[in-house]
Amino acid sequence: MWIQAILITFALFAMGRVFVQHRAQKVSSGWFGTWIVFWLAVIVVVLRPSLTDMAATALGVGRGADLVVYVSLAVLFYSLFRLAMRQEQHNRELTELVRKMAVEHPEMPNDKARMTNE
Amino acid sequence: MKIVVIIPAYDEEGRIAASISDASAFVDEVVVVDDCSRDQTRARALSAGAYVLSHLINRGQGAALQTGMDFATKNLGAEVIVHFDADGQMQGSDIPALIAPIVDGLAEVALGSRFLGRAGRIPFTRRLLLKAAILFTFITSGLWLTDTHNGFRAFSREAAGKIRLTQNRMAHASEILEQISAKKMRYVEVPVTIRYSAETLAKGQKSSAMFRVAWDLFKGTLLK
Repeated sequence: MWIQAILITFALFAMGRVFVQHRAQKVSSGWFGTWIVFWLAVIVVVLRPSLTDMAATALGVGRGADLVVYVSLAVLFYSLFRLAMRQEQHNRELTELVRKMAVEHPEMPNDKARMTNE
Repeated sequence: MKIVVIIPAYDEEGRIAASISDASAFVDEVVVVDDCSRDQTRARALSAGAYVLSHLINRGQGAALQTGMDFATKNLGAEVIVHFDADGQMQGSDIPALIAPIVDGLAEVALGSRFLGRAGRIPFTRRLLLKAAILFTFITSGLWLTDTHNGFRAFSREAAGKIRLTQNRMAHASEILEQISAKKMRYVEVPVTIRYSAETLAKGQKSSAMFRVAWDLFKGTLLK
């Protein structure tokens, strides 16, 4: 009972944070909707844990808790993969920026600079 | 033909001047890409008579080579571009033989090979890794070369324009070979001498680097 109260309180807090971030335009409408649905699903599962058992049985997995763990792992690994790809993309963009600055500001060898100034 | 050598450099204040002097005897211009060195590499390179391009953030050897190639083709009008190391492992006197097939129009790319030429005493583990790299390159690019991790290369202007390096760090060596194969460029291997010293061997890649190279190449494939 206590754990349910704690988890539901946390889920409501998280939904509040998502709402505030969306109003500050730091979260898109798409992600706002996704997170709200996610935390609502958490609240439903906390109130009716037997729902996960029903889903697990339908999918051929042993217990509801096992299903939650499997799904969570898959989502986490996919999120890590997406993060790695985004980081790689940012890395490439940073290199292009550094390159552009380097090529636009070359330094001439001292002897050629002297000849140019003469 | 205008020949420009690109020397990527990071913390090479002790050897950069000698490398520039060695290469400059055989080329028209020397371009050093200082990859955010913490020492006097930039100043020593300028004093030695090279153009210097400075990366404000360290990006890696692959990134530095692409920066140098962009500058050489767009700003210096290079017709032949040579990749040369800053640490003194390569010999400038090998440059004429390396670029000869390009100058004669027989190839677009010339790849140096220490196993066709002379290599200093290579430690057994390093030799084993280099042989494994040959097999890896054959699997990924279809090219069967005698030396796949040799930074001594030359390109015609057109070939340099076809190459676009996205791998910042050591995976660029594999990426170059993959692009040569994918774009069906005419290439030859040319014997070159690679000198090893205790310093350069200590600085060289660790065995674990091959895992990093494989991971970088994998990410690159997904981003295409």
